[in-house]
Amino acid sequence: MKIEISATEYLSLVRSGSISVEEFIAKTLDHVHSIEPRLRAYITLDADNALDKARSIDKKMRTGEKVGSLLGIPVSIKDNICTAGIRTTCASRMLENFVAPYDATVVSRLRQEDAIIIGKVNLDEFAMGSTTEFSCFGPSRNPWNTDYVPGGSSGGSGVSVSAYECIISLGSDTGGSVRSPASFCSVVGLKPTYGLVSRYGLISYSNSIEQIGPLGRKVEDVALALNVIAGHDLRDGTTSSGAKIDYVADIGDGIEGKKIGIIKQMMGEGVDGEVISATESAIARFQELGAECVPISLDAVEHSVAAYYTIASAEASSNLARYDNLRYGYDFASEGYEFKAYVSKARSRFGPEVTRRMLLGAFVLSAGYYGKYYLKAQKVREMIKSQIENAFNSVDFLVTPTMPILPFRIGEKIEDPLTLYLLDINTITANLAGIPAISVPMAFSSSNLPIGIQILANSFEEKDLLKAAYALEQTTNLPGVKI
Amino acid sequence: MTKIGLEIHCQLTKLRSKLFCNCRANYRGLPPNSNICPVCAGLPGSLPVLNKRAVEKAAMIALALGCEIPERVSFFRKNYFYPDLPKNFQITQYNAYGPTSIGSEGNVEIEGKVIRMRRIQLEEDPGRLVYEGSSEKTQLTLVDYNRAGTPLVELVTEPDFENPRQVRIFLNVLADLVENLGVSDPYLDGAMRVDGNVSVEGGNRVEIKNVGSFKDIEKALNFEITRQQSLVDRKIPVIAETRHWDEARKITVSARSKEEEQDYRYLPESDIPVIIVSREKIENLRKQMPESLAEKKDRYIKKLGIPAQVAEVLSSDKFYSDLFDKTHTESNAREVANLITTDLMGVADTREKKSELKIDNKAISDLADAIVGNKLTRNSGKIALLELVKTGKSFSEVISTLDLSNVSDIATLEKIIGEVFKEEEKAVIEANTNPDAVNYIVGRVMRKTKGKADPSVTLEIIKKMISIK
Amino acid sequence: MVDRKEIAHLGDLVKVEIDEPEKYIHQVDEILKYFEGLDSVEFQSYKSVQKEISYEDLREDTCEEFLVDGKPLIESLKRDQNNFVRAPKMI
Ligand SMILES: [Zn+2]
Repeated sequence: MKIEISATEYLSLVRSGSISVEEFIAKTLDHVHSIEPRLRAYITLDADNALDKARSIDKKMRTGEKVGSLLGIPVSIKDNICTAGIRTTCASRMLENFVAPYDATVVSRLRQEDAIIIGKVNLDEFAMGSTTEFSCFGPSRNPWNTDYVPGGSSGGSGVSVSAYECIISLGSDTGGSVRSPASFCSVVGLKPTYGLVSRYGLISYSNSIEQIGPLGRKVEDVALALNVIAGHDLRDGTTSSGAKIDYVADIGDGIEGKKIGIIKQMMGEGVDGEVISATESAIARFQELGAECVPISLDAVEHSVAAYYTIASAEASSNLARYDNLRYGYDFASEGYEFKAYVSKARSRFGPEVTRRMLLGAFVLSAGYYGKYYLKAQKVREMIKSQIENAFNSVDFLVTPTMPILPFRIGEKIEDPLTLYLLDINTITANLAGIPAISVPMAFSSSNLPIGIQILANSFEEKDLLKAAYALEQTTNLPGVKI
Repeated sequence: MTKIGLEIHCQLTKLRSKLFCNCRANYRGLPPNSNICPVCAGLPGSLPVLNKRAVEKAAMIALALGCEIPERVSFFRKNYFYPDLPKNFQITQYNAYGPTSIGSEGNVEIEGKVIRMRRIQLEEDPGRLVYEGSSEKTQLTLVDYNRAGTPLVELVTEPDFENPRQVRIFLNVLADLVENLGVSDPYLDGAMRVDGNVSVEGGNRVEIKNVGSFKDIEKALNFEITRQQSLVDRKIPVIAETRHWDEARKITVSARSKEEEQDYRYLPESDIPVIIVSREKIENLRKQMPESLAEKKDRYIKKLGIPAQVAEVLSSDKFYSDLFDKTHTESNAREVANLITTDLMGVADTREKKSELKIDNKAISDLADAIVGNKLTRNSGKIALLELVKTGKSFSEVISTLDLSNVSDIATLEKIIGEVFKEEEKAVIEANTNPDAVNYIVGRVMRKTKGKADPSVTLEIIKKMISIK
Repeated sequence: MVDRKEIAHLGDLVKVEIDEPEKYIHQVDEILKYFEGLDSVEFQSYKSVQKEISYEDLREDTCEEFLVDGKPLIESLKRDQNNFVRAPKMI
C-alpha cells in the first residue's frame, strides 16, 4: 500500500475496500515517526486518537452506518487553529500548553465529514514570518533539501503535505502564509476570498486580511477540502452567506477563451531568473490551453509591502494584547508584581518577530503617527482593491510567480526582517484586496528546488480559479518527494 | 460662566444576551465567572458577533435624543491593558473618518435650555474587580467576567449645562426616557453611571470620574465648581486634569496625571462588518418607539384636558403614567390624574414603596367614577384610595368596609340636619339673611357625617328646612 | 530616528518588557523608514474596504450557555477556589 496518493485516490481505495482506514492511518503514522526527526513538521501528534478514530470509521463502513464524505483522510492542522483536546500553541512560549476548549469551525466541519486529525503542525510564532524559523519549537525543514526553509508561516502544513505525512493540511494565509510554503515545498495551496471560510477558532494575527486555506498535493484535493470548510458560519460575522458550491465538479473544464493578466510589477527587478523562466513557461502553457495572456500594470503595488506590514502590525499589536497570562497561559506566579509589571514580564516570552511587529503596530497607531502610516496604508489598500477590480473588468485571472526567489538556507535571512518582508510582495496583493489566490507547483530549479506559480481571481471566483489551476497542473508532470 | 458636560454609561438591561456573544446580559446575582464563553472571556480564536437588538435599542435612545443615525455604523477597538478587560481592548465606537457611531448631534430640551448631544455609542462593559479582604493588605484583585461584554450605551453631551441642578433634571429625564423606551432599568445598581467635566470662567476643563451613584454627581459637581472658583478668585490656575470623586470624604481628588496620557491607539474592529442601517429601518423604528415624554404630556393636556402642571408631573414618572393609562376613561381622566398626582405620588414616592402598592386597575377607575358622579367626596376618595392600594381590594369592598358611601338619602340627612339645627340655633336664625351661616351649617353636617354627606343634597335640604321654618 | 527611549515607550504601550532594546532599535528604525514611503500617497478621502452587512443579518438576541464537556468554561481556565480569576493589583 502506498501513502503517496491523492485524496481522490484515497477515497476510491477506501470506498472499494481495497484498503482500510486503520491500515492507511497506521502506515502514515509510522512514516511520520520515521521522518519527523529530519523534517519537524509536527508540533503535536495525536496518534492514539487518530488510530481509534480510524477503527471506528472502519467499523461504521463494515456495519453500513453513515460515514462522512472524507472517509478518514489524514489531515494536519496548523497550530494556530483551535482543536478541542489537542493543544494549540501558535508555536509560542506564551501558549505552549494551551488547550482550547472548543474546535475551530473548520475543524468541526472536517471532523463531521470524518477526516482524521493526525496532529498540529509548525508555523512561525503566531503566523508572523515567511520561513517557519520563528517557531519556539525550532524551524521545520524543506523536504526537497533539509538545509532549506520550507516557506511560511504555514511551513508545517507545506512540509507535512509534501512529505506524505498527511493528505491535506489546513494553513492560514495572512500575507502568503499558505502559498509561500506551497510554492517552496511543491504542493498546491489556496488562500480563499476573505469571508468564504470561517475564522472562528483561528487565532487572530491580522484579522482583517487572513483566511484559513487548504494545502494538498493535487489541485483536486484542495477543491475537495474547500467543499468541506467553506460556507457561512454564525460564529464569524465576516463570513458570506452565498449558496454552497461544489468546487470539485467540472474542475476539468479547462480555460479555453479565458483572458489572463500578467502583473508587470511582479516580473521585473529582484525576481530570480529561474523563477522568471518558470513563469514564462506557465504563460506559454496557458496560451497552449487556449487562454489569452496580456500584461497588466498595478502601480499601487509599489506601496503594498509597506501598507501590508503597517496594517498587519497594527492589528497584531491589538490582537495579541489578550495574552496577559491571567485566564490561561503558563505558570508564572504574580506575587510581588503590580498588574502592569506582571503583564509586561509575562509577555516577555513572545519571540523576537512577534515583539518587533507589536512594537511597529504600537508605533503606527499612536496618536502622532496615525495619519502618516496607518491611514495611508488603508488608502493604499483601497487603491489596490480598486485597481484589482478594474483589472478583473478586462481579464479573468492574474498570474505571477508565487515567490520572487527560490527557497533559501535556514538562518540565511533571519537577522534581516525587512528583506524577508519584501519577499511577500507577490502574495500580499490578494490579502489586501480580499481576493482568492492559489499557488501551483510549476517547475524545479537547476538546484532541484521547487518553483510555484500564483493565479489570482476575482472575489468568490474560487470555482473558476481551481479550474485554471487544475488546467495548469495537467500540463506539468512533476515528481514527488523521494521517501 | 460655568460649563458642565456629561458622559453617561447606560446598560441595556432589557436584552437577553450580551453584545457579542450568547451569554446572558443579566449578570446580576450569578456565581463568579459562571456567565462566560470564549468570546466574552477573550479566549484565542473567538470572534465577536453583534447582537441585533442591542443595535436597535441603542438606535432608539439615539432617536429619542434627536440624534442622527448614520447609514454605515461601525465599531472600533480602544486599546489599553486592564485586569477587567479580557482582550485588553474594548470594542466601542469612534468617529474617526466621519460619524459611524450609532448616534451623533442630537439635542434635548430641559426647562427651555437646549443640551446638545455630541455622540451616542454602543460598547461592551468590562468585567468586575473584587478586592480580596482589605484592599491595602492584599496584592491581588479578583476578577469576575460575568459582566464582561454586556451591552452599554455611552452618551456624551456638549458642555452645555450651566449648573448642577440642570444636570440633575437632565439625568432624571434621561432615566425616565430609557425606562420609558424599555431599553434599561436605570434604577438597577450600576445600570447608569455618570462622569462629568467642569470648567469655570478663566479655568481649564477638569474631568470628574468614579462617581458611583447617580445622586453624587450633583454633589461632586458642586464641590468642583466651588474648588475651581476659589482657585480662580485667588488667581491660581486651574489645571486640566482628571479628578476622582471620593465618596467617603465627599471631595474630588487629583488622579495621577499619567491617565491622561493614555494613547488608546484606536483601530477599526474588522471582525464586525460595517452595518448598513437603511432609512426605512429607521422610520420603522421611529414608528415602533413608545410615545416620548413630550408627546405623552401633550396627549394628557390636549386630548384629556388635564391641567398642564399635572400633566407634566404625571408624564415624567413612568410608573404613574403607566398606571394612569391603564386606569382612566375619557370621563374620569382628570379625576384619576388628580388622585394619582395629589394623593398617591406623595405617599409612594420611592421604588420600594411603589413596588409595595397593591393595585386593582378597575378599583382605581371605579373610585374616580364615584367621585365624578358625586357618590363620594374627594375627601372620602383619598381615604378609599389609600385603602385600595394597601389591600388590593375592589372598590365596592373598600367602600363597604370603610362605610364611606355618600349619605344622600334624604330621610337620613334630614335627621342629621335636624340635630344640627337644635345645636346651632343662632346660626339657623341668621341663615335666612347670611349665606355664611348656611355654609357653616353645611360644614357642621359634613363633620357629623365624617365628610360623607353629599354637599349639594345637604344644601338643598337645609334651604328647604329653613324656609319651612 | 528610533532610540532606546522610543523602544521602551512602545514596549510599555504593548506591555512587553524589552530586555535588550538595542536588538530592536536598528531593525525597527529601518522598517519604519521603509514605511515612510507611504507618506507620499495622496490622501483626500478614504473608503473603508471592510465588509458590509445589512442590519437585518445581525445575530438574533438569544441566549445559550457555553459548556465544555458539560462543565462551565471557568473550569477550563486559571481560577481560585471560588472561581475568581486572580490578577495582580493595579496601583
Ligand atoms: Zn460570552
